[in-house]
Amino acid sequence: MSRRRIAPSAFVWLLLAAAYFLVPLIATFLFSLRSNQTGKCCTLHAYGWVFHNGQFWQTLRLSAELALETIVISLAIFVPTVYWVHLKVPRLRVVIGFLALIPFVVPPIVLVVGLLNLYKGTPSWFYAQPWGFLATAYVILAFPYMFFSLDAGFRAIDVHTLTEASQSLGASWPTTLLRVVVPNIRTAALAGSFLALAIVMGEFTIASLAAFKTFPIELEYVNETQAYPAAAATLLSFGITWAAMLSLLFIGRKRGQRAPFLAGAR
Amino acid sequence: MEDHEAQELEFWRKLDEEGMSRSQMLKRSVAAAAGLTVLSSPGLAWARERGIRIAPPLKGKLVSPTEMLAEAKKEGGLNVIALPPDWANYGQIISTFQSKYKIAVNSADPDDSSAQENQAVQSLKGDPRAPDAVDDGPAFAIQGTVQGLFAKYFNTNFSTIPRFMKDTRGYWTGDYYGAISIGYNAGIISTPPTSFADLLKPMYKGQVALNGSPLTAGSAVAGVFAAALSNGGSLNDVGPGIDWFAKLKAAGNWIPVDASPQTVASGQTPIVIDWDYLNLAYGPEFPAAKWKTVIPADGVYGAYYCQAINATAPHPWTARLWNEFLYSDQGQLLWLKGYSHPARFQDLSTRKVIPKALLAALPPAALYAKIKFASNGQQTAAKNLIAQQWPAKMGA
Amino acid sequence: MHGALRPDGVSGRRRLSLAWLGTVPFFAYALMFLFLPAGEVLVGAFKGAHGGWSTTNLRELVHQPYIGAYKTSIEVSGVTALLGGATGLAIAYAAIREGTPRWIRSILTTFSGVAANFGGIPLAFAWIATIGTLGIVTTFLKNQLGFNMYQHGFTLFSKTGVEIVYMYFQIPLMVLVIAPAIDGLRREWREAAANLGANSWQFWRHVALPVLMPSILGSVILLFGNAFAAYATAYALTSGTVNLVPVVIGAYYTGNVFNNPHLGQALALGMFVVLAVMMVIYIPLQRRAARWAR
Repeated sequence: MSRRRIAPSAFVWLLLAAAYFLVPLIATFLFSLRSNQTGKCCTLHAYGWVFHNGQFWQTLRLSAELALETIVISLAIFVPTVYWVHLKVPRLRVVIGFLALIPFVVPPIVLVVGLLNLYKGTPSWFYAQPWGFLATAYVILAFPYMFFSLDAGFRAIDVHTLTEASQSLGASWPTTLLRVVVPNIRTAALAGSFLALAIVMGEFTIASLAAFKTFPIELEYVNETQAYPAAAATLLSFGITWAAMLSLLFIGRKRGQRAPFLAGAR
Repeated sequence: MEDHEAQELEFWRKLDEEGMSRSQMLKRSVAAAAGLTVLSSPGLAWARERGIRIAPPLKGKLVSPTEMLAEAKKEGGLNVIALPPDWANYGQIISTFQSKYKIAVNSADPDDSSAQENQAVQSLKGDPRAPDAVDDGPAFAIQGTVQGLFAKYFNTNFSTIPRFMKDTRGYWTGDYYGAISIGYNAGIISTPPTSFADLLKPMYKGQVALNGSPLTAGSAVAGVFAAALSNGGSLNDVGPGIDWFAKLKAAGNWIPVDASPQTVASGQTPIVIDWDYLNLAYGPEFPAAKWKTVIPADGVYGAYYCQAINATAPHPWTARLWNEFLYSDQGQLLWLKGYSHPARFQDLSTRKVIPKALLAALPPAALYAKIKFASNGQQTAAKNLIAQQWPAKMGA
Repeated sequence: MHGALRPDGVSGRRRLSLAWLGTVPFFAYALMFLFLPAGEVLVGAFKGAHGGWSTTNLRELVHQPYIGAYKTSIEVSGVTALLGGATGLAIAYAAIREGTPRWIRSILTTFSGVAANFGGIPLAFAWIATIGTLGIVTTFLKNQLGFNMYQHGFTLFSKTGVEIVYMYFQIPLMVLVIAPAIDGLRREWREAAANLGANSWQFWRHVALPVLMPSILGSVILLFGNAFAAYATAYALTSGTVNLVPVVIGAYYTGNVFNNPHLGQALALGMFVVLAVMMVIYIPLQRRAARWAR
């Protein structure tokens, strides 16, 4: 008997979730509408300030590009690695999981100082560019989230059967990986990508110490110096990142297809 | 010509004769004497003719302003760090510098702390993004000097900077100072507080905040110092200051939130203990908050920040031009416009060059007469005491 | 159901010596950009204020205020990891299960992606604007319902307040990470359980939770690490009066007051030890949870 209506308990949970998450955003919104002169509603002046702030858009673009780069590099490194580990060396799972905690423990300030010192002599197309130095550091920051997401995803599918079936049909390793395995861990890869995107759009310490001007740096600056535009900027950045996530979702999902399960694999 | 200028010309001739390499020449000049500058006006012209890259002078008055500007323009820009535009009017100082000299200023990381500034000098050494000059708290200026991060420089007005506010060897100079003040929202607070003792009254329940924690923020440490002075302590013993905050917390008046423009504008923090130049700036910046500032009558504590030039600055001439600008009358008055007291305040007021309007915007000079500054040793002792006692007495 | 899962080592044992080579790219990257800089922490923790080797900083850790910082950090992280984990699981399940419109899941997942990294001053202020002394919910309760939270002892600027606010990024993180695992719960199992007469609670206890437990454990560890490393939000809310280890590290590493990076590194080493202990607890738990699958 497949239910066509939402279960009551599900409804309650989702309603509570909506209240908890939306009310603070509404509060921020109401604050952003206040006038700097009178402190009362209602004006769009704060939003005008943000829109006309060239730095806001420049840094947003830089961070968006960095996020894309980080996602691509992360997936390229971690998907094959986690696949291989699940397939051939399951013992390493725990080891890598352990290592995945290191980025949490090493304060970003320590990481960036270490990175700056180690790579000071590298060519400036790497060291002095956000595409090189910063993206590299961001892949490391995304590592725990990517790993645990992908790990959960690979756990949920039967890697051995899929691989064997694919190879017995004559597929090579790359084909197996790209056309058989990846579509099955799509949700997990997307989740990891979302987190990587959010990390890049929110990371402050490393960019600050390495003297790059990214979006979170601009936001922090606005928060430290402005009152109402800070609330406006917060909401705008929230909305823009959310829109980016939605577009990632559409990219990751083929037309008319739901998240696929391999029938009979379990 | 002065003695050393003759010696310098000698140098340049030797260079030409012996065909010394540039690094040899520099090594020699460093070895020659501490006070010997590398060039002077005739030497400068001579070297420029030969297309040699010259190091800037040790003393500002040895070079004419036009020459300094010409050399600076060749470098193509200035990197500054940790200068928020609304902190002591740095925004206008930077833009005035840019338009006056037509040199682009790259202002990075406005929220960096002094520790991060020194770190940037080290981490970005050799990188064209490295900061040319820093604006450090005194403890970090001293530490940076010990670490060899800064270059010696005596700007043209060096002698008019008070002695206790500069490093006599020339590594750093105090640039501006302020006193701890009590800022309050006149729309929410009906009876303005005028002293630390006032703030303990029950009418201010849940209303008094600091700008950060004394474990991380210089202004909060200064707040503890000022409270100590008001509560029977001294510069040598800030224990009574910590106790005063504990009393504030016990009375329910203390609100631990970090005061920011949003909390000020929204009224979440109707009373903030902070630097006078920051509190005074909030007034015109956030008219909605009707922000007013008073210097507490029972505890007037001040501290200054320090300018230092990066020893490995990517734009050494421009860094010194910046320094000259900051300590010129124009630069100093711009700081005053940002409600801070510039280092040369005494000199400026003696020569009567301060516009009346600027003075009127500040709290009465009589209140500042009692101002006390802590020495480096007193600061260190205070910080250690705060580190020990603050978490226990003020912890949630 | 899971008969196709191979037990460890049957196919892999002979090839183990070569198989790990496939992970070399990852380890190379991690070595260059994570282990080496992180190694500085290990090494620096054993150095004294004047550069020479010393265990002074490490020995400091067992005294106040540092030991208090660890306790508070572990408590806050633990509470938000467990509560956030449970709530996140419930919300994710509610969105993914049969009967819920698909668009709800898309909204939830994308929102979670943003919220999971929403923190610092913006998050702190969003909550100040909600349940701060002048927040909209506080004012609503006070004016419309006559109930003044702050007079009844509640304050946002406390450990409880920090925990409430932390859930804002903990719950979404849980939702994101557990969703793929929930996808693995086949609809048929729920139906089969119902056919056999099980109610919701029994379904969870005997079917869903055992299946999900390994992933839940991993996710809770992730949430713990996430909260453990966070500090900007807590600092904005409480200026460090809620004593958390990353705040203390920040004070010693990048603050405007102290400058003792080696003490900061010793504190970071301490954090590493705490997380290592968590992992050590996690491994046998994880094995037990996955036992049924063998």
